[in-house]
Amino acid sequence: MTAMPEILKDDAEEIERLIGKYPSRRSAMLPLLWIVQRRAGWVSQGAMEEVAGILGVTVAEVYEVVSFYTMFQQKPVGRFHIALCDTLSCAICGTHEIAAYLAEKHGIEMRKVTGDGLFSMEPVECIGACANAPALLLNEDLVGDLTPAGIDAMIEECRRKAGATAAAAR
Amino acid sequence: MPEVAEWERVLLPDIEKNETEWLAAYLKKGGYDVARKALDMEPESIVAQVKESGLRGRGGAGFPTGMKWSFLPKGAFPRYLAINADESEPGTCKDRPLMEQRPHTLIEGIICSCLAIESETAFIYIRGEYYKSAKVMEKAVAEAYAEGFLGANIFGREGKRVDIVVHRGAGAYICGEETALLTSLEGYRGYPKLKPPFPAISGLYGKPTIINNVETIINVPYILKNGAEWFKKWVHERTTGLRLYSVSGHVRKPGVYELPPTVTLKELIHDYCGGIRNGHDLKFVIPGGSSVPWLKPDQIDIPMSHEGVAAAGSMLGSSAVMVCDHTVCPVWALGNLSHFYKHESCGQCTPCREGSSWLYKIVRRIEAGGGQPGDLDTLYSLAGEGTPGSGMISGKSICALGDAAAWPVGSAIKQFREEFEEHIETGKCPYRERKTSYWMANGGFVNESFDGMPVP
Repeated sequence: MTAMPEILKDDAEEIERLIGKYPSRRSAMLPLLWIVQRRAGWVSQGAMEEVAGILGVTVAEVYEVVSFYTMFQQKPVGRFHIALCDTLSCAICGTHEIAAYLAEKHGIEMRKVTGDGLFSMEPVECIGACANAPALLLNEDLVGDLTPAGIDAMIEECRRKAGATAAAAR
Repeated sequence: MPEVAEWERVLLPDIEKNETEWLAAYLKKGGYDVARKALDMEPESIVAQVKESGLRGRGGAGFPTGMKWSFLPKGAFPRYLAINADESEPGTCKDRPLMEQRPHTLIEGIICSCLAIESETAFIYIRGEYYKSAKVMEKAVAEAYAEGFLGANIFGREGKRVDIVVHRGAGAYICGEETALLTSLEGYRGYPKLKPPFPAISGLYGKPTIINNVETIINVPYILKNGAEWFKKWVHERTTGLRLYSVSGHVRKPGVYELPPTVTLKELIHDYCGGIRNGHDLKFVIPGGSSVPWLKPDQIDIPMSHEGVAAAGSMLGSSAVMVCDHTVCPVWALGNLSHFYKHESCGQCTPCREGSSWLYKIVRRIEAGGGQPGDLDTLYSLAGEGTPGSGMISGKSICALGDAAAWPVGSAIKQFREEFEEHIETGKCPYRERKTSYWMANGGFVNESFDGMPVP
């Protein structure tokens, strides 16, 4: 059974271009899942069915891949998702303080989505920003050399963006 | 502050500016001239020059690049080149600025390398966390296609073809292991494969494949332009060329430093990086990425070459230097790294999957004050002495992740045995008592509190 594209319905052209780059159709697995995550914010069962249909593999084969790579979200996350690096160089430079600050000052807690759906946070292993420790990824952006003031500015900017979207929708 | 020797910087001359050199700027300074020149060279002569330069892989293993290239079986086509941009060894952060600041030099390096190994297709496998690197590389590759430097008949040369595909990973340390990188690229879980067959014989889609690190390949055009002798100006024993040292942790000026292999670890830390933060004392250094044995302060007067670091009992690895000052509890630090390997073990081989998990649990309980009298013996029996093949994990799995998980354990206990014993005997961590920096805000074990994992 092939699911009718829902999440990927507007991406047919890009998907065909992507698949065409590889000697094997299955190589487009990660690229397709990235498109899913860009569209939906996470990878749902329905999304996996769509990807399976496009690549001609079983849903189980897609799930096997999704569950292996930590960056694919298997549950909805906040609009602004924080991946806070917790490996040695960051950890000795203040990861823990940053996590505590985000929780106490901004109400953003580990492995939780805030009530307004705006923020979520998870600890991750080394993100390759060791010389700018402590560091995090805010959606696609690397934010390094974190300080309380820098965190405040980052969160403020997210709220401003969210406010602008809300205003535009009205 | 002592005088710092000013070295010529080649790979990242303006790293502080953090600007991308796009095509127009690159062409202005003679970009792609080397690739044009390489079109007129015999593949064997490109390989010979790279061999002659002594260039060794910059990803960690330090294997001679020219020799790797010459393992390809004659007459077997197609062949693939895979660029390993899955930079994920903790402490390492040098390939990111290379891709983000010098994308066209990397592309030129790929073209030259493809000509050398007679490959028409290269894949750049970029770790998922490096969104910007992937975007920059995509755009630079598109620029190169538009100019006719990539695709069919490159630089107008009939029959010469090089295609580049930028591919993103999605968060898995193991995909930096070359065979895992290839299985991931094929659209599967990133599971390593047994060698032999080596990828040069049977790699991506079962075809001969060469896998090289970003920094390795970006050196190729410079070697072809300036010659092997030029590259060997910077030499310590069998380590040649300038290299990028990523320095992180408790130094005043962490960063990526481009220096010759004759620079000592001591100079790197105290002269180039401004010494230890806040006037603190150095406790230990991890000189080559998180999997290599630790060095104590009296062991750092060594050249940062493969041979220099090996002589001190550690490894140069990816030249990622992690510096810990006296506020860092070695048991806690080991627990942090053991957590990393437990999390990143792909799960295929039992010794690594179960072993890395048990290493973490035991180190964690010692740190938390629940250590038992036999724990150090148990750790030794699992991890060995920190040498290849010793213990129940090292050398007993398909790839080297098991070894990487085990080595720091043997080395940390060897270097700080008394502190491990003190934790076990007193049932507490003296560093927590002293409330050093990272305990100030919120006592507890970082990984533990995030993970919610019960103390074993």
